Amino acid sequence: MIGSTLFYVQRYSAVYLLAYTIWVVSFLIVNNPLEYNSWTAFTNQIYFLVLTSLAAAVSIIHAFIGLWTIGTDYFTSRTLGFLSMSFSKYADIIRGAYTILFSLLGLSIFAIILLTIWS
Amino acid sequence: MSTNHNKIRPVYINLFQIRLPASAISSITHRLAGIYIFFITLPLSLYLLYFSTKSYNDFMVLKDYINNSIFLSTFVAFSFLVFAYHILTGVRHLLQDLHIGESLSASRLSSYLVFCVWFLLSAFVFSRLLT
Repeated sequence: MIGSTLFYVQRYSAVYLLAYTIWVVSFLIVNNPLEYNSWTAFTNQIYFLVLTSLAAAVSIIHAFIGLWTIGTDYFTSRTLGFLSMSFSKYADIIRGAYTILFSLLGLSIFAIILLTIWS
Repeated sequence: MSTNHNKIRPVYINLFQIRLPASAISSITHRLAGIYIFFITLPLSLYLLYFSTKSYNDFMVLKDYINNSIFLSTFVAFSFLVFAYHILTGVRHLLQDLHIGESLSASRLSSYLVFCVWFLLSAFVFSRLLT
């Protein structure tokens, strides 16, 4: 249940971020070279604020699942043991520290995005 | 319990002894690109968004700052090209999740296609940047 949920969340969040990226990039292509007035008119509209807040939340979730998958794939006693035998004993601690690090970074990036666009 | 274990079976996985096919290279670089995006491109875009919308002065300063430094413009271009690469390989994975191009030959072909599209895109971006 949880595995397939994470699988679908990862895919649907990817589709949302793809659509969001196409929207922003097409604005940047149409308005090239970028001027301050058109850029702030774009970033001050309510669509931008709502869709960017959603994109911030969705990209943090997408990144969490992706980075967590990488951690459980590569920071294990088997894969770290290939680097050094003594290293492999600390695999769970290393993976835990890594997970805490990117979670804290992700949450702070999310908070700063919201503070930046809504102020 | 069986005790007939193969004594020389590998206990740890030496990733460098595995020769990866093109589809696996596109998969592992998709992951590496994802790490780069989270730790570099995402904070960078946040920085750019913050200063480009702060005030007209900050916008112009940022623009000059990036335009006048070949190091900075290369760094920004590279960071967004990594994002483009993650999108290209990601779309390929999404199509495969929909059972499109799942066969070995199609998967190999689409990996090379993704590499080519990305190299052309990079060449285009850097040719614009350096002229």
